[in-house]
Amino acid sequence: LEYICPVSRFRNSLEMPTLWGGFSPGVSSVVKPPPGAPTRVAVAGKKDLVDLVHLEEDELEEQFVRGSGPGGQATNKTSNCVVLKHIPSGIVVKCHQTRSVDINRKRAREIMQQKLDVFYKGEHSDILVRKKEAEVKKQDKRRRVKENLERKRLFKEGLQAQNTPGKETV
Amino acid sequence: MWRKSMIRGYICLVGRSAGLKEYLATCAVRPCSSQTSPSDIINARQAVDIWRKRFELNGVTEPDLSSQYIIAHVLGAKTIEGVEQVKLSAFLTQEETQRIWKLCKKRLARMPVQYVIEEWDFRDVTLKMKPPVFIPRPETEELVELVLTDLQRKTGSPLCLEVGCGSGAISLSLLKHLPQVRAIALDQSVEAVELTRENALRLGLQDRLKVYHVDVIKDAETVLKLCSNVAVLVSNPPYLFSEDMPSLEPEILRFEDHAALDGGKDGLKVIRAILTLAPQILSDDGCVYLEVDPRHPQLIRDWLEVNVEWLRLAETRHDITSRPRFCILRKDKANDRTLHLG
Repeated sequence: LEYICPVSRFRNSLEMPTLWGGFSPGVSSVVKPPPGAPTRVAVAGKKDLVDLVHLEEDELEEQFVRGSGPGGQATNKTSNCVVLKHIPSGIVVKCHQTRSVDINRKRAREIMQQKLDVFYKGEHSDILVRKKEAEVKKQDKRRRVKENLERKRLFKEGLQAQNTPGKETV
Repeated sequence: MWRKSMIRGYICLVGRSAGLKEYLATCAVRPCSSQTSPSDIINARQAVDIWRKRFELNGVTEPDLSSQYIIAHVLGAKTIEGVEQVKLSAFLTQEETQRIWKLCKKRLARMPVQYVIEEWDFRDVTLKMKPPVFIPRPETEELVELVLTDLQRKTGSPLCLEVGCGSGAISLSLLKHLPQVRAIALDQSVEAVELTRENALRLGLQDRLKVYHVDVIKDAETVLKLCSNVAVLVSNPPYLFSEDMPSLEPEILRFEDHAALDGGKDGLKVIRAILTLAPQILSDDGCVYLEVDPRHPQLIRDWLEVNVEWLRLAETRHDITSRPRFCILRKDKANDRTLHLG
C-alpha cells in the first residue's frame, strides 16, 4: 500500500503511457449510500460499522496501470495496480494488494474513504478515535502485565526469604 | 570465476547486509544462465532480484511482477506483499530454490505467469489455469459486475447461460456471489470444459453448474435443446480480428488457444451466432451481456437491424481504460411480433 501525495509529483513519475479517465460509467460504484445518509462502512477487523465521509465517484479519477497495449483479449498482463485520485483534496491511493483488479478497486475506495475521513474530520475522525482507543487499551494491558509480573516477583522473593536456612519457619 | 564454495561463503557473510549488488559487482557479471544455480544459498529477496534481472536481460515482459508472483507463489502467498518480512529475508530451502528456478525458466520461455503457477484470481475466486485454456482478463471482471447488478434483482432461481466459458471464470464468479442462480456453461474446447468442471469442483459450485462441450456455430440445435427461459446470456467470445492475431505477444500466441481469440475477419463470427440464438432462448426480460472489441458496438447495432428482429443494442459500457467494451442487448418485442421457435 502506498499513500502518494501531492498529485503533481505523482503525475511526473509515471513511466508508462496511461489513460486518465473518469470513473467508468460501466461499473456500479461499490460505495453507494442512500442519498443524504452518511456512509457506513465495515472497517476490516472492527466489529461495528463506522460512520465515514461519503465518497463521491464524480470526485474520483481512477487509473489502471496496464500499459499502452490494446487491452482486452489482445493483452495478457498481470499488472493490476489501481490508482485512485480524489480531486478536491488531492489525496491519491494506490492499491495492488490482490491479483484481482476488481478487488483492488474496491479496496482502494475503502482506503480512500478512511484517508478522506481523517483528512476532513481531523482528530474527530472515527478512524483516529478508534486508533487512540486501541492504543490506550494496549498500554493498559502492558501496565497490568507489568504489575502482575512485579507482584509475582515479590511473592517469590517472599517465599525464598522464608526458606533460607537460619530463618524460623512458620 | 570463483568456486561455488567460496561464492556460498561470501553470500552467507555479506548476503543479508550488503546484498546481491556487491556480490554481482565483484563477479563482473555476464548475462549467462550459469550465473546462479539452485544450489547457491540465497533468500527470497535476492531470488526476486536475480530473476527480475534475468527476465529483463531476456526481454521478458513485466520482469519485476513475473519474478514477484512466481516467488510469492512458491512461498505460499498470492503476492510478494503477502509474504512476511521475516520470510523474505530468510534463506530459501533447497526445495524452494529449485522450484523457483524450475518455474522461472518457464517464464523465460514467455509462458504466461498464470500458466507457470497454474492458478490465477478472478474477482474473489481462485481458479486453476492450464494451457491452452484462455486466461481471464481483468476487463472481464467488470462484465461480471454488470451481470451481477442485473441478476441480483431477479426473483426465484434465474438461469444464466455462458457461451465460451474457458476456465469458468464468469459463471463461477456469478454462482459464488449469488446462491440462488443456476448456470449452464458451454465451450467448443474439450480442455475448457474439463477445466471449468474442475474449477467448479474446487469451489464447491458443481451442483449449480452444468458444463457442456458445444460449438454454438456448428451445434445451434443442441443449444436450443439445452437452454430455455434464460435470464442472462453472458459471453466473452473470441472477438479479435483475424488480421490482428499475428501481432499478439508471444505469451498469447505461443500458449493460449487461438480459437478462444480469433473472431474471424471482423471479429464477429461467434458473436453473430450468439445473437442469432439469443431471442430463442432468452426469457422475455432476458438480456445478453457481451465483452467485445472497441470497434464492435456500432457494427453490432448495424448488423442487428438487418438480421435479428427481436434483439436490440440497449447499452454500450466502457471498461476501466475508457474503451467501449461491453454490449448489453435486450429482447425487443415491438410491433406485436411473435417468436416462431424452431
